[in-house]
Amino acid sequence: MRGAIIAGSINRLVWSGKERVHFLAQSWGYPYSRGMAEEKKSKKGQISSASTAEYFSKNLQQVGFSSLPKAVLTTLKEAIDNSLDACEDAGILPQIYIEVEKVAAGTLKNADRIRVKVEDNGPGIDPDDLSKVFGEYLASSKFGRGRCSRGQQGIGISAATTWAQLTNAAGATVITKTAQMRKAVKALVEVDIKHNRGVLKNKETIDWDRPHGVSVEFLIDGRIQLNGEGGLLTYLTGTALVNPHITLSYKLPELGVQKLERLTKEIPEIPQATEPHPHTMKLGEFIAHSHLFGRVKTSAWLKKGFSRVSDASIAELKKAGLKPALFEKNVDALSEAEFRELFSAIQNTPLMAPSTRSVLAIGEASLSKAIQRLGEVDFFSVVSRKPTIADFKPVQVEVAIARLLNRAVGDDAETPVQVLRFANRVPLQFDKAACAIVKAIESVNWRAYQLAQPRGGLPSGPYVMAVSVVSPFIKFKNASKETIDASEELVEEIRRALIQAGQRLSRHIRREVKANDLEEKLRHIEQFCPILVDGLCRITNAPEARKKRAEDGLVKILGRDAREAQTELKEADAIVTAAIAKSNKNKKPDDDEGGDSDGSENGKQKKSKSGAREKAKPAAVRASSDDDDSDGGGQTSFNL
Amino acid sequence: MNKDQTIPKMSRELCSRLLSDLEKAKRPVLLATKCALDNARYDHKVGYLQPGNKKVRTELNVSSVKKMSRAIFMLEILLRNLDTGSVNTKRELYYISKGEIKHNPKLKPLDFGDQDESDATIDFICEMLEIYREEVNCYANDRGGQTYSQHLVVTETLPDGEKAVIDLSKLGTSPFQPKNRPQNLKLTTKKKVDFALIVESEGTANTLVANGFTKRHNAIVIGAQGVPSNAVRGWAKLIQDQLRTPMFFFGDLDAYTMQNIYRTLKAGSAASLIRNSDYSAPDVHFLGVLPEDIKKYDLNDYPVKENDAQEVRALKKADDALKNDPFFQDKRNKGCSEILRWLLKNKRRCEQQAYFTVDPKDPTMPEKIIVDKIKKGQYV
Repeated sequence: MRGAIIAGSINRLVWSGKERVHFLAQSWGYPYSRGMAEEKKSKKGQISSASTAEYFSKNLQQVGFSSLPKAVLTTLKEAIDNSLDACEDAGILPQIYIEVEKVAAGTLKNADRIRVKVEDNGPGIDPDDLSKVFGEYLASSKFGRGRCSRGQQGIGISAATTWAQLTNAAGATVITKTAQMRKAVKALVEVDIKHNRGVLKNKETIDWDRPHGVSVEFLIDGRIQLNGEGGLLTYLTGTALVNPHITLSYKLPELGVQKLERLTKEIPEIPQATEPHPHTMKLGEFIAHSHLFGRVKTSAWLKKGFSRVSDASIAELKKAGLKPALFEKNVDALSEAEFRELFSAIQNTPLMAPSTRSVLAIGEASLSKAIQRLGEVDFFSVVSRKPTIADFKPVQVEVAIARLLNRAVGDDAETPVQVLRFANRVPLQFDKAACAIVKAIESVNWRAYQLAQPRGGLPSGPYVMAVSVVSPFIKFKNASKETIDASEELVEEIRRALIQAGQRLSRHIRREVKANDLEEKLRHIEQFCPILVDGLCRITNAPEARKKRAEDGLVKILGRDAREAQTELKEADAIVTAAIAKSNKNKKPDDDEGGDSDGSENGKQKKSKSGAREKAKPAAVRASSDDDDSDGGGQTSFNL
Repeated sequence: MNKDQTIPKMSRELCSRLLSDLEKAKRPVLLATKCALDNARYDHKVGYLQPGNKKVRTELNVSSVKKMSRAIFMLEILLRNLDTGSVNTKRELYYISKGEIKHNPKLKPLDFGDQDESDATIDFICEMLEIYREEVNCYANDRGGQTYSQHLVVTETLPDGEKAVIDLSKLGTSPFQPKNRPQNLKLTTKKKVDFALIVESEGTANTLVANGFTKRHNAIVIGAQGVPSNAVRGWAKLIQDQLRTPMFFFGDLDAYTMQNIYRTLKAGSAASLIRNSDYSAPDVHFLGVLPEDIKKYDLNDYPVKENDAQEVRALKKADDALKNDPFFQDKRNKGCSEILRWLLKNKRRCEQQAYFTVDPKDPTMPEKIIVDKIKKGQYV
């Protein structure tokens, strides 16, 4: 959770040398468990520290509980995030059931009492851990692991429990069953705010017909908002878009039970965290990192403790002027000046980009399938960039742009495109304007790709632009993970992905324009031939026979033009088809950057002689990326 | 053969040629004179911008068939006007074409979306036949050119052959409004006219006359009303040709006036290369305001506003004109190009009304300066 910043600030209150090392070590994925600041009895004038739970209970707006509709969304979101992370960790295809309903009037002004229930088929939580998971802040199995999980710090679900407790005087009702348990455990979990501890109440053993899983239910004050940017439906469809492997059943007010079936049975393999890359560190982290290794040679520390540092890189460092003796020295004997020298030399030495294994991509194939869930899609373009480094962190950007048939151009030509933002496969729904994704979209000149765009704004038209940023360390602007910090490097990386998608888009639109041109030409022949000849004959008083000959001649001339245009179009089709075939042939079946193209047939609109165009169902066309203007493109797909 | 007979003949020949090509399934090609500065020639002996050899070639294909069909459709309307002697403005022709289409649904594909499209079609016909629109009875409204004189008599031949005689001295304070058809006018004078003065501002022309200019001087005073319309240009040409009197232009000292108003009046424009022969008065001199007048009469001038897009554009155009405009490149027009250079260098401008600052108490001071300048030959 965005609690990184908050956790940092809390830590600063009790910042001792040892803790500092532990905190830094923890943030690089080394196991260390430390309780949060413990409450001390404060005397007058004495500096005291509050418990984390106390801090969050007073600042729930920072973690997504700033308004009534947001409270419902955040509660739902945190529960689903946890379920999905747990399923993926355990290699289970997630099947999630959601119920959100209004049960009564709330305790707060203008609030409703809302029941939010999320049930999953995950591995279940050991009953001993229930209190920690739902009732303790910063108790997380994921904190700082350097993995692309949705949750990170362990704040969200505890915040939801706190909200339930504050507004409804009862925490979360949880049922859990692991595969080893014959019966399930049901309990009410509450947060002991004073001590940042979870408390179990009414614990009982019950029969549950699920082999394993967790069901969590909150009764909270809130308000249900289904549609719009912060709506529950927007969240659910967004989640389904970037998680094509989940089956989502939901029961929302006025909608009855809806079910979104999974589109793929492949469980995304969550990559293991890798050693840190020296270019992603700051000097303090670098030094702290060395403390974990005790007495080892510096060269061994560099090679073992970091990714992408090899003998060759050490040779490079020596070439750059570092004394060979430095590498023979034990790392715990290095002085600060030596660390500093070593660190700057490494920063200035080119190393391989950090391992991309720690970054999880949705994949073009999955995105291509999932995008069909957004509505009736005319065509789409999907781009998976290769993982790269932005702001010292590995990151992977994926973009899907789709044109929807049900958003008629006439009505929506002026309406900005719909932007779907995702960070680690979680939809971002608030504070759009400040987000790196929106800034990147606005920075692209979409007019070059035949899209209307007001100056400096989002392009307009019946399009959906979905941008996913995946990284083990996403820099959020706030603790409620609503906005990705718009750093220059990240915006540029997103921008490149968008440009690639835009190029494919414009190729399609140009083809469409060309096809329209041909239709127009054919129509011209039918319309203008008789008019032109008639006019000429009237002015010259030409006899009927001459008129007939001229008409025949004109049809011949224009027919030649039309045939040429048709040939041109066929040639263009052939080129695209060849590109698809080539691309499919080269495609590895298990390629996580793409997968199989699901719609390689060319479903281009068919033209009748009169020029009427029938829209064919959308089809994905995979094209080679040889015309990309940037270097980082994965395999890309676009749709005709 | 007069033009009324020539144009239908030329049109029939053109259409017959197109038809013959079509009969042979050969693509007909239409050539139209390119009306642009890069196809303008200037010869000081001729005195106006003439078309060069460049032609715009339109070959019949699926893309141009609409343009050609529209041209033939509009040509038919214009020929009918010539035949019946009807006249129309471009806007009226737009509505006439709309009416034709309304009454004949087969012509629907030709329908003009807006007047720009029908205007372009008329221009295309003119460039193709190398005629100007007045020759096919398509006139603009008679803007500008209000003329004052105590000695000028205009005889107009009306379409029915009758003659109307207008004695300008009998019009009181009303000016004479020249027509777009200068060929129907005959000019005579009751007394020898010493000069004709064309004033850029219609208001200033009116003031000069109200203060007694035409009473004190045997002169013709014309208000140009900004960029001279075809009526003003044709009228100036008529005065030049029929009265053989010296002609002077009095306007602001700025790049826009020099290029867009004075050059058009004297030598025509690049857009109207075909008609410049009848719509320019090469004998007109630039009386002022001259750069030296500022110092001589201590006139109020002011710098060109950097944020005034029109003024900045005019200066940029002046720079282009010095490089590309054959009129300003001709050494006989060195005086004009020197003024442009002065304007570019000093980035200042001075308005014609600045003459009123010389002696604020004397309303006839501008008149005195103008006459003095003419007498002393202080013009370009």
